[in-house]
Amino acid sequence: MNVSDLSAPPRGRGLLIPLLLALLVFVGLPAMLAGFDRGYFYQIANLALIFILLSASMHLVTGVAGLLHLGHAAFYGVGAYTAALLSTKFGLGFTVTLPLSGVVAALIAFLVALPTMRLVSIYFAVATLAIGQMLYLVMLNWVEFTKGPNGIIVTKGLELFGFSLSGRLATYYTVATVVALCVLAIGRLSHSYYGNALRSIREDDQCADAMGVSTARLKMEAFTLSAFFAGVAGSLWAHMTGYISPGDFKFSESILILAMVVVGGLGSLPGAVIGALLLILLPEGLRAFGDFRNIMVGLVMFLSILLLPKGLLGEVSALQLARRQLGAAWRNTVKGEGIGWR
Amino acid sequence: MTALKTASLAALMTAALAGTTLAADTVKIGYQLPLTGETAQYGQDFRKAAEIALTEFNAAGKPFKAEIVFEDSRSDAKEGTNIARKFVDDKAIVGVLGDFTSGVSMASAQVYKDAGMPQLSQTASHPDYTKISKYQFRNIATQAQEGPYNAKWMLSKGYKNIAVIAEQTDWGQSVVSGFTDGVKANGGTVVFSEFFNRGLKDYRSLISKLERAKPDAIYTGFFYEDGAQFLRQVQQLGIKTPVYSTSAAYSPKLIELAGEAAEGVHLTSNFLPTDPAPHIQHFVTEWKAASNGAVPGQFPAQAYDAVRIMLAAVEKAYPNPTREKVRDALAETKDFAGVTGKTSFSADREAEKELVKVEVKGGAFVPVAD
Repeated sequence: MNVSDLSAPPRGRGLLIPLLLALLVFVGLPAMLAGFDRGYFYQIANLALIFILLSASMHLVTGVAGLLHLGHAAFYGVGAYTAALLSTKFGLGFTVTLPLSGVVAALIAFLVALPTMRLVSIYFAVATLAIGQMLYLVMLNWVEFTKGPNGIIVTKGLELFGFSLSGRLATYYTVATVVALCVLAIGRLSHSYYGNALRSIREDDQCADAMGVSTARLKMEAFTLSAFFAGVAGSLWAHMTGYISPGDFKFSESILILAMVVVGGLGSLPGAVIGALLLILLPEGLRAFGDFRNIMVGLVMFLSILLLPKGLLGEVSALQLARRQLGAAWRNTVKGEGIGWR
Repeated sequence: MTALKTASLAALMTAALAGTTLAADTVKIGYQLPLTGETAQYGQDFRKAAEIALTEFNAAGKPFKAEIVFEDSRSDAKEGTNIARKFVDDKAIVGVLGDFTSGVSMASAQVYKDAGMPQLSQTASHPDYTKISKYQFRNIATQAQEGPYNAKWMLSKGYKNIAVIAEQTDWGQSVVSGFTDGVKANGGTVVFSEFFNRGLKDYRSLISKLERAKPDAIYTGFFYEDGAQFLRQVQQLGIKTPVYSTSAAYSPKLIELAGEAAEGVHLTSNFLPTDPAPHIQHFVTEWKAASNGAVPGQFPAQAYDAVRIMLAAVEKAYPNPTREKVRDALAETKDFAGVTGKTSFSADREAEKELVKVEVKGGAFVPVAD
C-alpha cells in the first residue's frame, strides 16, 4: 500500500458529507414531509428510521464481527416490552424507558451470551435462533407478566421530561435524533481499532486469539451492544405505535433485518442503512402492484445478491467512504502519516 | 377549421368529464386485510365476499356508487399502521374495514382513534379492541357472549367436568376465560385448561394429558386447520369424549380436512349456508360461482355482512358523508338483516348476534335443537 493513500483527508472535506447527511435528515426530509403533510409519509419515514437502527445494530454483530445472528428481533421485542411494561405498570415516560429498554435488552443479551460465546459459525447461528425463539415464546406464553398474545396498549406517547413530542413533526425529530445518535455510536464502534479487532475475529478467530485479541470478550461486547441498540429501537416502536404484541417480534422479523444487512453489504454500515431503506420503502412503494409486490421485492433481493454479492455498498467501498469522506476516527502521526485503521 | 375542431372536441371532452363526475358520485371505503402471507387464505376470502357485496350495492341503483380500496397488511402490525395512515390521508375514505387479526386491528386502531375514522373489523375478537375508542366496531360474536352460551349448552347435556384447550392467541385467551366464567357460573367444573401454539402438528401429548383429567367433554378454541389436525388425532387415539367448539371452527374445510374424525363435533354458528332464506341463498350462490362451487364458511359470511353494514351506514350518512356521520350511523345499526343473522351494535360497539347450535352429521353441518 502506498503511504500517500493513507494520508489524512483535509479537515473540511471530511465534514462535508456528514454535514449534508445531517442537513438531509434534519432539514430536507422534515421540510418535504411537512410540505406533503401526509401522515402516511411520516409513518414510513419513522418506520424506516427504526429499521435503520435495527439493521445498523445487527451490522455490528453479523457484519463486522461476522457472527450470524438469527434472533435479533427478540431483543427488539425485549426493548419494546420493557418500555411498554414500565410505562403501563409504573407510569414511566419515554425519557426513562428509552435508555432502560436498551439496558434491559443488553442485560439479557449479556446473560444469554455467557454460555454461547465460545460457539462458532453455524453453531452460534443456531444458538441465537434458539435464544430468539425462547424470548419470543416468553413474550407469547408468560401471560401474567407480558399479557401474552393479548399484547399491550401503550398509552404514553413520545415525550422528553414530561414535554409531549407526539405531534407528527416532533415524533419524526425524536425518532431521527435517537436513531442518528445511535448510528453515530455504531459508526464510531465499527470504524475504529475496536472495529478492526472485531473484523479480525470474523476473518480468522484463532489467528486473532493468537495475536492477543480476546475473542470471547469482544464477541460478547459486540453482541451486548447490538442488543442495546435493538432495545432502544423497540422502545421507539412501542411508544410510536401505541400497541405491541409478540407477533411484531417473531422469527421472520429477524430474517428481515438480516436481509437488510446482507443486501446492503455485510460489514458496511452505510450498506446496512441503505438495505433498511430499500426493504422498508420498496414494499410500500410497490403497493400499487397488489399481490405481486412480494414477488417483486423478492426479485429485487435475489438480483441484488446475484449481481452484487458484496451488497449494494460493499464493505471495502464503505470503509473507504468512511475514511475519506466521513473522516471517521482516522489518526495521523506528527509527520502527517496515516496510522489509523483500515 | 382545426381550431374549431379542437375547441369542439375540448367542449365535448369537458362535457363527458362533467358527465362522469355527475353520474359517478363515489364514496370510498378502505379495507385492510392480509392478501399475502401466512393468513392470506382468510384475507382472500374477505376480498371475495366484499366484492360480492360491493357489486350488489352498485347494481342496486343507489344515489351513489361505492368503491373499496383493498390494501394488503400481511397480518403485520407495521404494514397495518402504514395502511391506516394511508387511509386516513385519503380524504375521500369515510370508513375502514378490517383487519383480520386482533393484533393488527388494534395497532391500526391507534391511528384511527386519533384521526376519528370509523373502523369495523369482521373478525377482531380481542376483548379490549372496542374499548380503544368510540370509532372501533366489530361484526363478530365475542367469546364473552359465545363462551357462556356454549357452557350452558354443554351443562344442559349433563357434562359437568369439562376440559378446555385453545390456541395461544388473544382470541384463544378469550375463549378460555369466557367459557370458564360461564361454566363456573352455572355449576360446572373446568378440570383442565391449556393453550397450544397455532400450527401445532402433534396434539397427542396434549390429548393424553387432557384425558388423564377424565373430562366428560372437551371444549376447544381453534380454527379449522388446527381443528382438523386435532380431531384426526383424537380419532387415532380412539378417544370417544365429545368435542365442542366455537363458531371460528365453522368452516366446510374442517369437514374436508378432518373427514370422518369431524363426525359428532358440536359447535355454534350464526351462519347456515343451508338456510333457505333468500338473502342467504343469494350469497351462497354468488360465493359458489366465485369459488368453484365451494360453500362459504363463517368468516366470509361475517366479512360480507360487515361490508354491507358499512355500506348501509354510508348510505344513511349520505349526502355528504363524513367520517363522523358514518360512525354515528354505524353506532345506530339495529337488527341489520344479514346472512349471519340480525345484527345490532350495543352501546359499547359490540355486535350482538343470535347463535345457532350445529352438529357435524354425515359429513355436513346440521342444525340441532339442543
